[in-house]
Amino acid sequence: MISLNDFLIVSAVLFCIGLYMIVSKRNAIQILIGIELMLNAAILNLVAFGKYDRFFNGGQMFALFAIVLAAATTAVALAIILNVYRQYKTIDPGRIDKLGDE
Amino acid sequence: MKTITLEEFLNDIDTLTIHFTLAAVLLPLLAFIINFSLPGRLHKLAGWVSTIAILLSCIISASVFSKVWNSHHVHQQMLWFTIGDTKVYAGVLLNNLSVLMLLLVNFIALPVHIYSTAYMKDDEGYNRYFAYLSFFCFSMLALVVADNLVLFYTFWELVGFSSYLLIGFWFTRDSAVQANKKAFIMNRVGDIGLLTAIIILFAQFHTFDISQLFADKGVISQSVIQGGTWIAPLGNMPAVWQYIACGGLFLAVAAKSAQFPLHTWLPDAMEGPTSISALIHAATMVAAGVFLLGRVYPLFNGAELTILALIGCFTAFMAATIALTQNDLKRILAYSTISQLGFMIMAMGIGAYASSLFHLATHAFFKCLLFLVAGIVIHQMAHIKKDNSLDIDPQNILTMGGLRKKLPLTFIAAIIGGLALVGLPLTSGYLSKDGILIQAFEWSDGKSGFYKIIPITAVLTTWLTAFYVARLILKVFFGELKVLSDHPGIQIHIGDGGWRYKLPLILLAVCCLFPLFSVSPLLYEQAWLFQGLTLTIRAVHANIYHTLIPVSVNILSVLVIYGAYMMYVKRKGNIFLQSGFLYRLSAGEWYFDRIYNSVIVKPILFLSTAAFWIDRTIIDGFINALADIGIKIAKLCAWIDHHIIDGFLNLLVVIVEAVGNFARRFQGGKVQYYLFSMLVIVLLLFILKTVF
Repeated sequence: MISLNDFLIVSAVLFCIGLYMIVSKRNAIQILIGIELMLNAAILNLVAFGKYDRFFNGGQMFALFAIVLAAATTAVALAIILNVYRQYKTIDPGRIDKLGDE
Repeated sequence: MKTITLEEFLNDIDTLTIHFTLAAVLLPLLAFIINFSLPGRLHKLAGWVSTIAILLSCIISASVFSKVWNSHHVHQQMLWFTIGDTKVYAGVLLNNLSVLMLLLVNFIALPVHIYSTAYMKDDEGYNRYFAYLSFFCFSMLALVVADNLVLFYTFWELVGFSSYLLIGFWFTRDSAVQANKKAFIMNRVGDIGLLTAIIILFAQFHTFDISQLFADKGVISQSVIQGGTWIAPLGNMPAVWQYIACGGLFLAVAAKSAQFPLHTWLPDAMEGPTSISALIHAATMVAAGVFLLGRVYPLFNGAELTILALIGCFTAFMAATIALTQNDLKRILAYSTISQLGFMIMAMGIGAYASSLFHLATHAFFKCLLFLVAGIVIHQMAHIKKDNSLDIDPQNILTMGGLRKKLPLTFIAAIIGGLALVGLPLTSGYLSKDGILIQAFEWSDGKSGFYKIIPITAVLTTWLTAFYVARLILKVFFGELKVLSDHPGIQIHIGDGGWRYKLPLILLAVCCLFPLFSVSPLLYEQAWLFQGLTLTIRAVHANIYHTLIPVSVNILSVLVIYGAYMMYVKRKGNIFLQSGFLYRLSAGEWYFDRIYNSVIVKPILFLSTAAFWIDRTIIDGFINALADIGIKIAKLCAWIDHHIIDGFLNLLVVIVEAVGNFARRFQGGKVQYYLFSMLVIVLLLFILKTVF
């Protein structure tokens, strides 16, 4: 039987991988993937803790909302990255150091 | 109608005379000022400005002369300045001596001016020359009428200064610069003497006024030396001061009138233009010394006068022997001037006051004439040199000869001047020079045998004079033109020159003959000039000297001239060796220059070199050491400043920079860094919270 601890460990591993990606990657898409990983770690936690609310299934419901919101934010983020690429001809966040018009 | 008393009338006349005198003195000064302010294109007018000034001055001084001569002294003065209780007056003193000099200076300067307008016409410094010339005349004219020793000293210095300017007129030549420096420095020695004497006289008599000091009843004639004290009406002082005053005056006279031991500047002064030499030798520069002696004559007592006579006599003899062997035309004349000045000083020394000044006047005319002649000859020789580009010295008499055919008028003038210089009868030189010789014999009459040396040397000098004058004239004007026989085929276009050359020669030549001075060609006592200047009227001595001396002296002089003629023109029996000690002594000018060089100039140069060395190494060394120490300290300070103070600041800067660089990384605009930093901080906080 899979215990709650196993879920939490997987979630923590996922969160750490995501965090590492955000800090170390030189590509905005990969960073975005990192963010998604962290988000999914959180959703996993929600679902795992959802077993304590059998009556309302609040954890499951909140996870569904979170997945939809994550999809929306990813779409917005991708749009931003596309625009950033048009502006700077790069998507390395380390090299994007100028705001505003030329 | 206002009646005028006789006294007031005379006073008015005197005032007029003084005004005339001032005009005569100031006209050359005016010419000097005009000449210096003439614009460049009017430079050619300078000569006529000066000449007209001196002509007017000459006419005015002639009228002053006619008023004052043998009538009465004119003396007017005004308060010059007051120091404490001492009032110093400045004014004009006219007596026989000063009006004579006034006229003489003007009368000599006039032909020299006319001559100069032609002589200097091609010179670049034409207007400068005439400006200096006018200034020179002004100084001398003011000198002779000054009534005050301070004023006298001022003009005495100005005479020396203007002669310095004129001797060094061609200042681009090194020899001229050396000569004017020498003249100036030697004259300074005399100036110190004069200043000393003036100071002593003022300390003793409390006045600078010449007429109060030296008049017949003046304070000096009332002072006596008794038992080592010099007693004057207003005070006493040790007798040694009187000797120092006389010595100082003698130095002044010796420097200006080129007497031994300060005579060596005069031959070198020939570096100036010849017309300037004529003026210096005749009336302006060297006459000032004798004139001073004439002014201060009463101060000298018997023994001092004898010393004066001995020195004058020695100078006369020495200069005459040097003149025998010189080959430079102007140098011969220069030494003859020294010799004649020696005669004048000697005459002063033996009490022949009037004869001395008489000789000064006659000498002025014939020496001026001879120099103008020399100027023409040198000019013509320089023409020959230039036309044929020869390498000859235009002043060397050995390259001349036979010029009497080319320059007839110059030749006649030279003969007249030469005869006057020798002192043959019918010339003015005879009257004055034989007067001196006769009085020299009379003076030595009552004295011991030792004193005979003076008249005998004087007579010997006269014969030497005859010889060198004969040698000069024969070498220049007789025989064949040496330069033509050395360089056959050269072109010679020479002549006496225009009226501006001829007129001065004729004028001066006439003045060298006896009628200007005396109706009798043979008796000097009858010369008006002599009578006007005699201090004490004495009976005409009709002793044996008055016939014996002129006759013997002149006969021998004529014989000497004949001997010279045989020797130089007929080339018979040259009895003189061109070697031997005496010849070398004479040609080397008695080695005075060499002695002065080794005894005075060398030690002084050595001293100044030593002083320079001390200055350089010790005084400058000390200063330099101080400076070095200063530099060392400054360097140390700089090091401290650079390494410690600046270092501290730099350290701060480095720290701040390091901190800044470190901190900057967190704000570099790199999003991931922010995130990472945030993560680390949050983790740290958690760790810290867990641990504590």
